[in-house]
Amino acid sequence: MSFFFGRTRARTNTVDLAKQARDHVTKLEGPQGAAKADELAKVLAQMKQVLQGTHGATEAEPNPELIYQLVTGMIEEDLLNLLAVHLHRLPFESRKDTQVIFSYVFRFRPPTGPQKPEPLALAYVVERRPQVLVELCRGYDHKESATPAGTVLREVLKNEAAAAVILFDDGDEQGSSCRGVGGINPDRPQSGRGVFWSFFDWIDKSSFEVSADAFTTFRELITKHKDLVPRYLAANFDLFFDRYNRVLVQSNSYVTKRQSIKLLGEILLDRANYNIMTAYVDRGEHLKIVMNLLRDDRKMVQYEGFHVFKVFVANPHKSVPVQKILIMNRDKLLQFLSHFLEDRTEDEQFIDEREFLIKQIRNLPPAPVPPPQR
Amino acid sequence: MDGEGVARRYQVLEELGRGSFGVVYKGIDKATGETVAIKHIDLESSEDDIQEIQQEISVLSTCASSYVTQYKASFLRGHKLWIVMEYLGGGSCLDLLKSGVFNEVQIAIICRELLLGLEYLHSEGKIHRDIKAANVLLSETGKVKLADFGVAAQLTYMKSQRNTFVGTPFWMAPEVIQQAGYDFKADIWSLGISAMELAMGEPPHANLHPMKVLFHIPKNAPPRLEGKFSKEFKDFVAQCLVKDPDFRPTAKELLKHRFIRSAGKVEALQELIQRKRNADVRADQLKHPVYYQETLHTISPKDEVDEWVFDTVKSIVPRRGTVRSRKPSSVYLVEDAMRKLDLKDGPLQPNTPGTVRKATVRRQPSTASRQSSVRRHISNGSPRPSLGPKRPLQPDMSFGNSGSTMRLFRRVPSDGSNSGLLGSSPPEFANENHAPAAYHSPVEPNSKEAMLGRRLYNKALEPCLDELHAQTAASSKREALARLSDAFAYLDAVDPEGAYHLVRNLVSSISQDTRLNNIFLPQQHHPSPKSSNSNPQPSSKPANDGTQQGTVLIKGSRPSTATTLAGTPPASALSSPTKLIMSQENPHLMSHHRRRGSMLPQPVSPDGRGSPDKERERERERDRAEKDREREKLAALEAKLPGRQAVPGMEHCKALSDLLYARWTDGLRARWGVLAGS
Repeated sequence: MSFFFGRTRARTNTVDLAKQARDHVTKLEGPQGAAKADELAKVLAQMKQVLQGTHGATEAEPNPELIYQLVTGMIEEDLLNLLAVHLHRLPFESRKDTQVIFSYVFRFRPPTGPQKPEPLALAYVVERRPQVLVELCRGYDHKESATPAGTVLREVLKNEAAAAVILFDDGDEQGSSCRGVGGINPDRPQSGRGVFWSFFDWIDKSSFEVSADAFTTFRELITKHKDLVPRYLAANFDLFFDRYNRVLVQSNSYVTKRQSIKLLGEILLDRANYNIMTAYVDRGEHLKIVMNLLRDDRKMVQYEGFHVFKVFVANPHKSVPVQKILIMNRDKLLQFLSHFLEDRTEDEQFIDEREFLIKQIRNLPPAPVPPPQR
Repeated sequence: MDGEGVARRYQVLEELGRGSFGVVYKGIDKATGETVAIKHIDLESSEDDIQEIQQEISVLSTCASSYVTQYKASFLRGHKLWIVMEYLGGGSCLDLLKSGVFNEVQIAIICRELLLGLEYLHSEGKIHRDIKAANVLLSETGKVKLADFGVAAQLTYMKSQRNTFVGTPFWMAPEVIQQAGYDFKADIWSLGISAMELAMGEPPHANLHPMKVLFHIPKNAPPRLEGKFSKEFKDFVAQCLVKDPDFRPTAKELLKHRFIRSAGKVEALQELIQRKRNADVRADQLKHPVYYQETLHTISPKDEVDEWVFDTVKSIVPRRGTVRSRKPSSVYLVEDAMRKLDLKDGPLQPNTPGTVRKATVRRQPSTASRQSSVRRHISNGSPRPSLGPKRPLQPDMSFGNSGSTMRLFRRVPSDGSNSGLLGSSPPEFANENHAPAAYHSPVEPNSKEAMLGRRLYNKALEPCLDELHAQTAASSKREALARLSDAFAYLDAVDPEGAYHLVRNLVSSISQDTRLNNIFLPQQHHPSPKSSNSNPQPSSKPANDGTQQGTVLIKGSRPSTATTLAGTPPASALSSPTKLIMSQENPHLMSHHRRRGSMLPQPVSPDGRGSPDKERERERERDRAEKDREREKLAALEAKLPGRQAVPGMEHCKALSDLLYARWTDGLRARWGVLAGS
């Protein structure tokens, strides 16, 4: 008997959970914020249980039917957006619960319907409510919400449409993702005010924990989608690399600086980014930045810089400005490279590459030769 | 953000210990007056680990349980990352084990607390993956907390599984080793092993080489607790050590086990802490605290080249400074890195000459810096700290809050350590202020013999000792080795010429005994029958750890990336190609080669005052060195060829060791930045 009782109660509750949560969330900032936070915490914990099932003694598998009700309820109440907005105001445990809830909800595929149904909530968000994703990104504004929001984002970003929503968010501009993924015009250059461009500041200006998490998400965003991102970078080449070099590569934070140089190398050496790479290594000013990195006083910065520098030198079609710089500094470079990171005696690949660069620089023509047309 | 500002919030006090990633200090949060532990991680010293460290922080920062060490904050200062944690004054269980094994009552309490901690972690979707005594900390009041989340995993989805091969071999669950996909249950296995560790002082198979253990665990029946323990305890361990994870109980289920239910209060554990303190006092082991010195500075590589001897001194209080400033922290990066090297080298490096050579090459840069540390310490007025770096293989974690053991492959030696060393040191060692002898040293090598002696020490003796130490599992043997290593270090500091003569005489004695000669110097075909007296060889004595071959053999067939570099110590590379092949198939021969290699002297350059006899010997040595260099090239070439066939039936071992090898080289590459820099 009690079994049936428990079951029915669970069902009525489930329908109601999203509404309850909504009521509490919207009052978090009010005079009774603390009390509301407690109540919300309980509701969120219940929601998590519905999604996860329970473990241990009262093992219960999650019930797809209940989950379906919960997910649709959350969509109706616009709870995903509310939770994303207020994430940093929630208590410690509730933030973690919210993270779990998002993860499960975005993964959930309805039990009935087409053979391989889309994850219901994610499809809804991407097409109709892109602000949820933007708000999740804004989680980086606060130390409290950075980790849970970031964790959710990185999972969601595996979906190309979700990544596009973030990349192409551009306020009310024409072709912005603000009206859903369908409204995106991928070839329109970005204004630089969309949420994606805020990542540069989150990475550069936040505390270590926030910055590190934001960088990880940024890396995912920029490396995961081999069709979307090269096209995006091509359309926004100057804007992107200007910020990248100015804010990240020259950051005062050791971690940001080192990681972003490394990521730059990865971006350039990614096959999918071939056109981006050739455009990048044609610019003399890019080479200057990188050559300065080689002289940084921290070895790991030098080392990461080397892996970008080598792309310039190894390029068989060096542009005239690049050749000019290299030829002007030929002797200095040869001298410098022959002692560069000498103590990396066990790093064979590095030694080989360094030798190769020395050879390349030595064999440069005495004056720049325009590269053959490609 | 403003790391400086946040850092000012903390008053950093004495050093607590060293982990694989950095130094841990005791500190005070000025805002609250609370005592904290602050871990300093030098990011410049790791190549790819920033993300792993981030991972550790993110797992820790989402834990809120009284059974898990509480994370407080982290921030950057220059290229140092500070992680502020709850301070636990009782030390780790591994430290506490040094003064004796635990009784059942104590173990039951610890296991219950650990199960509560694991129950929490697992309900949060986290797997610790490195449960062992070293990672269990006690507060002064006896509270038990899980520490070191260096390899912990966060599952985003409850049903998901992991495949990553991490942990510490002795404590690893079979399914982790087999990489068949594992989940929370892996922690339960490790808990069972840890319980045995607390009862016996060592985990099962502690006498085996860690690599061998990796094959042993999945293949054999689970270890069993034997001896005069209660039925309940034995059953508890047996439950934890069920090989099939599906039949292994969860943390929640184990909390209902009789052994656990009858466990007492945590306060009973204070006994252990007190016992350890008493033992420390008895052993006169209360060390002078090592105080934090601001070492934040921008590394300037060019300067370092100039000042290679005192690379970090510029940031430290002048050398005539107080006794307390004896151990400036950055020196230990080297020590630390050495330890990590050894940890990884241990299982993997020994057997083909190619590998051995490589390992030796890698060690080279460190020798200089370690030597530099020796000098500096001594100039500070005490020879004792100079021996510090000579115990590279064990972090001093007597106060708990150890560093992360990210991917430690070898158990952190629990013994053969401070107590043994310091306790048994001659009085002038123990006495800090007994300065005279110390102030004369170190001797700058001023004769050829002395220079050779120093070279011999740096390039042959010390690396070989380190290597042997890394390969030796048994604690008493390790201690013996550590002492020998210390002795050599001292000799080198005081009388490098003595080291030269020692080895020289050793070689000639060996060459005079037919059998020894054939074993150790086989290329030197001049049996001299006149004498059969042979010196016992110091470094070969404790090296009877011949257990690692099964795995190393396969590892040896990995393509070697060693290049024949100028300055490669030929001593460790002497082996003919024939031997190379034999050694691949005959592990026992292998260890002989290794030892032989380590026993051989450097090819000595003419010193202008040898007898004709010695001249001839030198001739021979030169010849031999020539030949060996050729062979070495061949061997290097051979080693470069892509992986050879695995022994039939052992393909899985090959796959595993290939993987381990890759991890190992990655690890080395990551660490090497520092060593190279100093």
